[in-house]
Amino acid sequence: MSQPVLQIKDLKTQFFTDDGVVQAVDGVSFDLHPGETLGIVGESGCGKSVTALSILRLVQEPGRIVNGQILFRGDDIVTMSDDEVREIRGKDIAMIFQDPLSSLNPVLTVGFQIEEAIEAHRKVPSKMALSRAVELLKQVRIPAAESRVRDYPHQFSGGMRQRAMIAMGLANAPSILIADEPTTALDVTVQAQILELLRDLNRDLKTAIILITHNMGVVASLCTRVLVMYAGRVVEQGPVERIFKDPQHPYTWSLLQSIPRLDSDRHDRLLSIEGFPPDLIRPPRGCRFNPRCQFRVDRCLHDDPALMNVGPDQDAACWVTMRRALAPNGELRG
Amino acid sequence: MFTRGALLYIGQRLVLIVFTAVAVSSIVFLGVHRLPGDALLNERRPDPAAEAALLHYYHLDLPLPEQYVRYVTGLLHGDLGESYVNRGVQIMPLLLREARVSAEVGAAAIVFTVGIGILLGVIAAVRQNTWVDYLATTTSVIGYSMPNFVIASLLFLLFGIGLYAWTGGALYYNSGWTGTYGTFDQILIPGFALGFPYASIVARLTRASMLEVIRQDYVRTARAKGLTSRVVVIRHALRNALIPVVTILGPLVIGIVTGSVVIENIFGIPGLGKEFATSILNRDYNIVIGLFTFYAIIIALANLLVDLLYTVIDPRIRY
Repeated sequence: MSQPVLQIKDLKTQFFTDDGVVQAVDGVSFDLHPGETLGIVGESGCGKSVTALSILRLVQEPGRIVNGQILFRGDDIVTMSDDEVREIRGKDIAMIFQDPLSSLNPVLTVGFQIEEAIEAHRKVPSKMALSRAVELLKQVRIPAAESRVRDYPHQFSGGMRQRAMIAMGLANAPSILIADEPTTALDVTVQAQILELLRDLNRDLKTAIILITHNMGVVASLCTRVLVMYAGRVVEQGPVERIFKDPQHPYTWSLLQSIPRLDSDRHDRLLSIEGFPPDLIRPPRGCRFNPRCQFRVDRCLHDDPALMNVGPDQDAACWVTMRRALAPNGELRG
Repeated sequence: MFTRGALLYIGQRLVLIVFTAVAVSSIVFLGVHRLPGDALLNERRPDPAAEAALLHYYHLDLPLPEQYVRYVTGLLHGDLGESYVNRGVQIMPLLLREARVSAEVGAAAIVFTVGIGILLGVIAAVRQNTWVDYLATTTSVIGYSMPNFVIASLLFLLFGIGLYAWTGGALYYNSGWTGTYGTFDQILIPGFALGFPYASIVARLTRASMLEVIRQDYVRTARAKGLTSRVVVIRHALRNALIPVVTILGPLVIGIVTGSVVIENIFGIPGLGKEFATSILNRDYNIVIGLFTFYAIIIALANLLVDLLYTVIDPRIRY
């Protein structure tokens, strides 16, 4: 396989609040290869977004990256100067956010905000920046781009705003696009269009995409590889087909069980995961998922599992793994 | 720059301002004429015949309704009548001249208010909870809690007396007004005294507003684009943070107008504020009514300007 374009090694990001240190991201490692589409899934508050923000060093006070490396083409973003990181932001690694309305500046035109993204990294005459902005809006399929370029964000619909955000992200043809819940605030038909757009961009421009979502369906439709996060850790990772067909971590399994399926009996209850994600100031001892895990064994209560190989290119951090938990004899249960 | 709708809106507001001016002057007219005593109370009492002639000259012998109609007719033609104290002095040109003087000091005050206020507010917000923030916040609390006449006295002490002693008389602030137009230092020092308390209010509001805006998603987007922090703060954060600040500019202009009555009297500036005090003490009714009308128009225009400023800052607001 080719050299990874981005390597995250043992990343820890913590928030130093008055109540204590929140271990929002606690030892996350993964690689991203050129042109790859990686999904990061998990519930709210599991550290997905903080991981993404850490990559561009956009974590706000009182948050801080306290450990680890973020190697972009071999250079460590964590130890770079502010100016060096600024050079990477929006040029090599672009990011789009969840709520496209609040993520666009309401007092500046959409076109201006795109031009600005171009001019932050290249000296170009403003006329060229404008025509490039129009071109980008066309690329993300905004109708009548020549006139809409002068509109303000409130004059755009929700889907168009997210397209405009994507156009802004693509302004400098980045090698990585990080999309943090890009479809969550949109209705379903628009979601599908945005995902299709991202898929086309990945195919045509070879932009690697990190897609952060809590929606397994979104991952299935776009990603080739999945990272499942829980309580600041990666609990399972692997190719998307393997994860969906044969999840090994009980958390991944529960997430998949909680998706309604058209082919299931209407009277079947959907499985929901009991309890809430743990308090990251004082995470539970042992496996962090153990208080909510229906398959836990004694070892889970005091021994914290690391990622272990559980199948072809698939790792899970679990002492039990679903393969054994669901074994017909059920010897490990209880 | 303005759409047809906006121009229509401005037109409506201007018509309303005319009505406001007439209403204010009517109320003041009636109020002044209900005062005990009459316009000639402070005069040496002339003989009855001369007094009657004087009253007739100013139409003060007519019934009040008739006087009122004459006054309003004059007002609508831009004629405010003649001073009772200085016979033959037309009030309109007098007030216009004084308004220019006041405008100079007032403009300096507004520049101080907005300039210092926004600067302190932004610096405090960007360096939140550092000594810079504490210094800026303390400065604005001081300004906020000191009345303008106290600041004025301190400025006298500092620039009038302190600077005189320090430079041996080579450089100092000399109060008073040398001509129709003030020289630079004659505007700056009163302007500062007049504007500083309001600068503090603007600073506090800007700081609070900036702190809120700086956590907004679009500021994060701006940073994610790789913009420099200066561009992020000024272009993305400040512009949005100014929207609530613009709201208080209206009341602030009123504060500066009323404050100018005190400041102009302290510094001996021949503007509307000084005339205001003098004319009331002299029972110069026509000037009093004219002044109130002037003030009403100035404040109404200032508020119209503030409302138009909104549309410049925030494209979501349209009239």
